[in-house]
Amino acid sequence: MTTTTRRAAAGALAIAMLAAGCGRGTGTAQERARDVTTANATGEVTVWAMGEEGKALGAFVKGFESAHPGVKVNVTAIGWDVAHDKITSAIAGGATPDVSMIGSTWSGELAKTGALEPTPGNLVDKAAFFPGAWQTVDINGTAYGVPWYVETRVLYYRTDQARRAGVQPPRTWEEFTAFVRALKDKGGARRGFNQSYQLGASWQEVLPLIWQAGGEIVKDGKYTFDTPEAVTALKQYASLFQQKLAPTDTPANAFPQTFIKGEVGAFYSGPWMIGVLNDDGGPGFAGKFGVAPYPKGPVSATSFVGGADLAVFKKAKNRDAAWALIKWLSEPKVQAQWYTTVKALPAVQAAWQEPELKADEQLAVFGEQLKDARTPPPFPTWEQVARVLEAELEKLARGRSTPERTAKAIQAQADTIGTGL
Amino acid sequence: MTRTTRRQRLVVHLGLSLGLVLVAGPFLWTALSSLKPEREIRRDPPTFWPETWTLGNFAELFGRVDLGTAFANSMIIALVLVATNLLFCSMTGYAFAKLSFRGKNLAFGLVLVQLAIPAIVVMMPQFVLIARLGMVNTFIGIILPTLVTPLGVFMMRQFIADLPDELIDAARVDGAREFRVFFTIILPLCGPALATLGLITFLGSWNNFLWPAVVAQSEDMYTLPVALNILNGNEGTHYNLLVAGSVVVIAPILFLFVFLQRFFIQGIATTGLK
Amino acid sequence: MAVLTRQAPPAPAPVKVRGVLRRSGLGWVFIAPFVVLFAVFYLGPLLVGIGMSFTDLRSTDVADPLAVDVVGVENYLRLMNDGAMHRAALNTVVFVLTALPLTIGLGLAAAVLLNSGIARLPAAFFRLGYYLPNVTSIIGVAVAWKFLLEPEAGLVNRLLALVGVDGPNWLDDEATALPSIIVMTAWRSFGFDMVVLLAALQTIPKELYEAAAVDGAGRWARFHAVTLPSLRPVLLFCTVYSSVGFMQFLEEPLVMTRGGPLNATLSASLAIFGQFGVGNYGYAGAASTVLFTVIVALAVLQLRLGRRR
Repeated sequence: MTTTTRRAAAGALAIAMLAAGCGRGTGTAQERARDVTTANATGEVTVWAMGEEGKALGAFVKGFESAHPGVKVNVTAIGWDVAHDKITSAIAGGATPDVSMIGSTWSGELAKTGALEPTPGNLVDKAAFFPGAWQTVDINGTAYGVPWYVETRVLYYRTDQARRAGVQPPRTWEEFTAFVRALKDKGGARRGFNQSYQLGASWQEVLPLIWQAGGEIVKDGKYTFDTPEAVTALKQYASLFQQKLAPTDTPANAFPQTFIKGEVGAFYSGPWMIGVLNDDGGPGFAGKFGVAPYPKGPVSATSFVGGADLAVFKKAKNRDAAWALIKWLSEPKVQAQWYTTVKALPAVQAAWQEPELKADEQLAVFGEQLKDARTPPPFPTWEQVARVLEAELEKLARGRSTPERTAKAIQAQADTIGTGL
Repeated sequence: MTRTTRRQRLVVHLGLSLGLVLVAGPFLWTALSSLKPEREIRRDPPTFWPETWTLGNFAELFGRVDLGTAFANSMIIALVLVATNLLFCSMTGYAFAKLSFRGKNLAFGLVLVQLAIPAIVVMMPQFVLIARLGMVNTFIGIILPTLVTPLGVFMMRQFIADLPDELIDAARVDGAREFRVFFTIILPLCGPALATLGLITFLGSWNNFLWPAVVAQSEDMYTLPVALNILNGNEGTHYNLLVAGSVVVIAPILFLFVFLQRFFIQGIATTGLK
Repeated sequence: MAVLTRQAPPAPAPVKVRGVLRRSGLGWVFIAPFVVLFAVFYLGPLLVGIGMSFTDLRSTDVADPLAVDVVGVENYLRLMNDGAMHRAALNTVVFVLTALPLTIGLGLAAAVLLNSGIARLPAAFFRLGYYLPNVTSIIGVAVAWKFLLEPEAGLVNRLLALVGVDGPNWLDDEATALPSIIVMTAWRSFGFDMVVLLAALQTIPKELYEAAAVDGAGRWARFHAVTLPSLRPVLLFCTVYSSVGFMQFLEEPLVMTRGGPLNATLSASLAIFGQFGVGNYGYAGAASTVLFTVIVALAVLQLRLGRRR
């Protein structure tokens, strides 16, 4: 007990010292990746993974264990709600696992802590992944971890309403507006289109519009939201609300029930919605909705790519086995198998040629869209800027601001926040 | 109360029953929903009474999460915390209420300070501390910071302050030492307060999420809310598992509440005060 | 208490200096577990929290928290110019001022009614029922309340329609969102006060009521002359505890509205929670320090006022 007390006192002293502050070091030297030999890995390796993936991974890695006799993988499933806090606390306390799944927008922040190990140059070929997916782990030319699975946004629409209105999925922004109007006026979707405006996900629907208009939200290491392209995108976003083609009075939780009931006829979302709609819509609903790629804006039809990456911590007790596991999870066949297990879309392009994925028509739309999909910059402050976007987009959607003022307001706050690099 | 007429009693019962509908509705809805298939739960507008009865949600829940271990962990942690809080909070509360000592006001200020500290601010430094002490992924690491809660200390102080000083003085005159006064005179009079404290402590520990989720690093150390949170998807929520999970979490608290009923109603024995 | 104190208390034993010292030491022995735990697990971390509010600490610095720049009071200055934080502070004040009396009033009413001589079994049944909102998980509560408040199919607006009132979109209207959350929170919290007050009601000696009844006091007079004064210490506890809790209210807006629409339900704690979530620790620390100071000051003030009369 006395040693415990003494250690407690020492610990208390240590954290009290944190308050003193000693100044930041200058210059951030590029980290060098070290090669790894994965063939002879042995011993135990601990892995953290979130939600469904965490639950399923424990059984899934049996395949890895039989390919690498002598390696034992311990998977701990963690809830999404606590994952970020848990990982940052573990870094602060020096109590990290060997490998962790991380949300694709976290890698910039976590890499900056210095706790992640750069991906060994001899581990995987980055060209094997979708370019947008690799972007999520690439911090200024150094990769930290490897993309695991991806998601991207496409257009969901009611095929029965489109048929009644006599319209096809849109290919351009102009066609898109006409399409939504037709669904509303002739198709029976009395509320029109479900466009996000409440806090939570609206930025993920606006970033694609900016890219489609030819805009860049980052240039020369700075956020750039106040550009003519961004204003064009915000105008497109706001126009749906102004023309009453998208509601701003959707009660919380009402979506996607509003789509199933036919009140809204279309929306943008990711691959998980297929499962949700099939479950909630009941038998027969599968034939009433379809998916289509993003319509093309002034410049492109770029979508948003998200998902999850796998990273190894510098304090990993079993570095070789950790990277060996990641290498195995990146094999096309394993990626395809993983898709059949939890419906997570492969980040490795070749996996889409496997029979498990090739047969599915709806899936092909996502596969096609992934070739033109991007991710927000891996800046440690991105999440903070995303909250700013959401707050300003809500004002815009509710008619309290204009596209121009919105762009300026976002830019001003993003400047204050900085990139955090 | 001696002169309560039948009509007054009727009015009270009627009012209480009406209130009951308002307060218990959401709970009943949750409980009934756990017996509906997922699609019916998510239907808009929702049904109150299940159209289709099923135990499938519970079967799925038990199949996907190791609830037995999580339940046992939660129970161990909660019972230890109830025991330590009953003892330490009443001791501390007694000292604040009935003993005079130097620095008492300052010390009581600490209770208020701890009560007012936002949990999220101290979480990470606390975790670093636990990590340095080598207590990550242990019960002791989960339990230690809430061994004595300021809420309990404050509550016991207020209850004990209300007890007549004469009792204590009489015992002191008889030569009883403070610890004996506390254990033989004060504690027996605190029945309802201790039952309340036990309930509140149990509830707090049972529902505590963030701290155990950060400290427990392997699933065999997970508590019930931590284990259930794994099911809370990033995209698309399984409401059927959530409502079944909440019923599993609430049930023990209701049992505890029913069990404690007789302690809540325990009039103070003033007859000995002459 | 009047009845009891009428009997002369036994004269205090002659105080000896050694006795006082012994008792003084004893007091610290009794509170030692709390004080030690506070010193180890709360004092240090609290100082860290206050310390980081004067730095530009971010979540990216957790592995090496000493390597940050000291920025003085910059975070506090930013706080004064942050519109969302102002709104959060205002919402929190409105919330505490309304939810506090509502919650304690409901708790007291329920406790007194349940203690007013109804038979044992129904009383136990009602006690359990009224305690339910306090234990029902926030998830179940949120889902149920969202359906209740749904603008078209929700029960509340359907009842209003019966009397010819067109109910608003409760949670999505800037005017009604915060009041909705307030009512919901009071509903969810009063069970706690009820249980604590019920326990306190048990400690009121029956003789007091009998004496008052002999003096010819009516129902209301007895409540006023016996019940309320006897409950004072515990009512004070409920007030302080609920204020501390409500000053930090977070869960309800988080699950119901995420602080929207347009920050109408953003609370101070929710705003701080958000800043921690995006890794802005220095700024979040500054906001926490302000909130913490206000809470302690409020609690001390309440205790002073509560003790005086």
